[in-house]
Amino acid sequence: MADLAFDPKAVEQLSPPLVTGQPSLHDVTEAVSIHTEIETHRNWYIALAISGSVTLLLGSMLAYLIATGIGVWGNNNPVGWGWDITNFVFWIGIGHAGTLISAILFLFRQKWRTSINRFAEAMTLFAVACAGIYPLVHVGRPWRAYWLFPIPNADLAMWQNFRSPLLWDVFAVSTYATVSALFWYVGLIPDIAIIRDRAKTQLRHTIYGIASLGWRGSATHWKNYEKAYMILAGLSTPLVLSVHTIVSFDFAVSIIPGWHTTIFPPYFVAGAIFSGFAMVITLMVIARWVFKVEHLVTMTHLENMNKVILATGTIVGYAYATEFFIAWYSGNEYERFTFINRAMGPYAWAYWSMVSCNVISPQFFWFKKLRTNIPFMFVLSIFVNIGMWFERFVIIATSLHRDFLPSSWGYFRPTIVDILTFFGTFGLFITLFVFFTRFLPIIAVSEVKGMMIQTEHEKHYLPATTTGSTEPVKAH
Amino acid sequence: MSKHHHHDVPKDSYEIPTSTWEKGRNIIVAVFILGWVAALAGYSLDHKQFFPSYLVAFFFGAGIAIGAALFTMIQHLTGSAWSVPLRRLMENIMMSMPILALLFLPVAFGLHELYEWSHPGIMKTDALLAKKEAYLNPTAFYIRAVVYFVIWSFWAWRLSSWSRAQDTSKDLNLTFKSERISAPGMLLFFLSASLASVDWVMSLQPHWYSTIFGVYCLAGGMWAFFAILTFTLLRFRANGILANSVTVEHYHDMGKWMFALTVFWAYIAFSQYMLIWYANLPEETSFFMVRRSGTWETVSGILLFGHFAATFLFLLARASKRNLNVLRFVTVWILCMHYIDVYWLVMPNFSKAGVAPHWMDAACFVAVMSTLALGFWWRLKSAPIVAVGDPRLEKGLEFQNV
Repeated sequence: MADLAFDPKAVEQLSPPLVTGQPSLHDVTEAVSIHTEIETHRNWYIALAISGSVTLLLGSMLAYLIATGIGVWGNNNPVGWGWDITNFVFWIGIGHAGTLISAILFLFRQKWRTSINRFAEAMTLFAVACAGIYPLVHVGRPWRAYWLFPIPNADLAMWQNFRSPLLWDVFAVSTYATVSALFWYVGLIPDIAIIRDRAKTQLRHTIYGIASLGWRGSATHWKNYEKAYMILAGLSTPLVLSVHTIVSFDFAVSIIPGWHTTIFPPYFVAGAIFSGFAMVITLMVIARWVFKVEHLVTMTHLENMNKVILATGTIVGYAYATEFFIAWYSGNEYERFTFINRAMGPYAWAYWSMVSCNVISPQFFWFKKLRTNIPFMFVLSIFVNIGMWFERFVIIATSLHRDFLPSSWGYFRPTIVDILTFFGTFGLFITLFVFFTRFLPIIAVSEVKGMMIQTEHEKHYLPATTTGSTEPVKAH
Repeated sequence: MSKHHHHDVPKDSYEIPTSTWEKGRNIIVAVFILGWVAALAGYSLDHKQFFPSYLVAFFFGAGIAIGAALFTMIQHLTGSAWSVPLRRLMENIMMSMPILALLFLPVAFGLHELYEWSHPGIMKTDALLAKKEAYLNPTAFYIRAVVYFVIWSFWAWRLSSWSRAQDTSKDLNLTFKSERISAPGMLLFFLSASLASVDWVMSLQPHWYSTIFGVYCLAGGMWAFFAILTFTLLRFRANGILANSVTVEHYHDMGKWMFALTVFWAYIAFSQYMLIWYANLPEETSFFMVRRSGTWETVSGILLFGHFAATFLFLLARASKRNLNVLRFVTVWILCMHYIDVYWLVMPNFSKAGVAPHWMDAACFVAVMSTLALGFWWRLKSAPIVAVGDPRLEKGLEFQNV
């Protein structure tokens, strides 16, 4: 191979740079830490005021609901699950990208994950927090929510129903939240230590010192850290699949046409990853610009995420098509009716919104021009999120609203409380983000630096170019 | 990973010594003749037994080829380096596609023996089947099969021939072209292979349906593909072929893939079983009723404990994925389990009373697999057995699990 020299542009395309502008390792530390160290910006207070107000709206809606009863929502008979479960599944789905990026892409040695995993994991935790609200209040008496756990209790002369997937949800979601939080925190430790070491005040040094759990960066620390990280990645991987699998069981174990179909578990998981990646794009496009980290979260990262969106969106399309085909192929008239009703019944508007946003819109990402166009991907990622919300709504509402008996057919209309509660969860989600971006490094500094060094080592395996080698990474 | 290591490693020749190749050819040809003589004798003795036995063997081979194609395309799409030293062998397995098109002929020929829905007049007496006639009819079945094989053979040929052209031209554009064609290829393979599973296996029990069935078949096929690839490489290694290029690091990664697919298959199988069991609808449980009665229940148990649990334990530890003796055993184990899986999908439709192994099962298996092996073996001679022109080859050779 050495006798041939290649066009450097083509060779670069073989392994596109994941950090641009050739910053030194110290520059990276600086770029990522600075936003936790500067004086609080006025815009931060404005952002907090807005998102905090919306969170207060969520709080007041929930207080109103708990004081009055579930009847303030639009749930009716036969649509016993409405926006509450739709929103639960919507948020829990968004919470899938973080762990996929951190765990599965880590096991697949996808180096580009390093710049976005911290951010995506934080998003996961905040989305799970939003999701958890819905089943909690949907039980009707949230102060009795601990009955969901199999703990001995004197005031309840019964035991949990282990045959119910709703109970499995309790375990699946709480396990997921716990392990994701642990994974996120373990990854944060070396980076918190960086901020501690850079601290200018004693108070700051103490707080970040406690949070970094005595990290000293010795070889032993790193060895244990990498082992822990690998184990957590291994544990998180089945969890990425299990949570949405169990969520799909909530529907699929029933015998309701449109809910009961065997492809639900992998289809829900693909849809969750799809929506999660779209949300990462929505937020990352803004964050990389606000925090000036465009050289760390490069176009390569965004393009890769858009490719994942295209792939998972197409898998979701495959599932829709399979469902439709098998509903027809089954010859079962209830199955056939449900799917025709979805596409042409009273909820056709929701069904076609779902198909356009989830299946058609990601197909634009076949074109490199479009998947590397920031305004375009931003708009498209929002479309995907709208589509994935509609997907859950379509599944829930269309299957329930027309019962086996035409006499019990109905229609679901959200109330203002439904709408404001859902709007409020966005407030909570953004508020948590606003705090996160103020106090913690939004990019995994030590991982990015490790990746930069590794990439430098691997360069000499690439074919020789006409211009010779590029400059090595500068040390401190 | 460090620079000074990679000059010390002795280079492999990237071709099979003529004597070894001829020895291999002689064995395969002998097995091929033996297999086809036995299979054809079986056909003339008892064609009712022949077709189901043949279908099992055919579906086993087709699953592996599809698995090879899917994985090759994934490697192009992700720009993977570790797998480059193995990719030529994957391509050679994937190039079974045109041969499989020929091997499909007996299935097409045995349509009426295999598929209840193809019986003339049944659509008049069976109201449920009548609703499916637009899909389940011989003409549509044949047309679809042609479409599948055209798609599969075209993509396999395109990727394989570009890879071979790159051996001499070292043209980087071929890498990018392969990457570009792989994305629509994945989509088309996924769709066509899912429908092929419905056509060839699910429709054996034409009243039954399951939306996850295509994914189930794809998962099993890909699993067996890794086993056969790893097994072949280990045999090569025993004969000193690619012994320095494909290191324990590569075997470790293949072990990881087999482990991952063990779990993925179990996940899909569990999803299908659990949802059908839980809902307990007669039109769906019919599939598992047969497979949970009599001796078929034992086979189902073998799948649960052998296909999943045992393989999971065999491959869980890092040390076992890096132990080539363990891997050699596991690859054979996986191939056996995958055969049982395919057998379990097909055969209960023909012997509801219980498992009835027949010598023709073995004869057809040997006939089909030796035919594919023959194609594979000839392709080893027509080009280097490693993609020597791939720009990521050196990185792939030096790859280490850290």
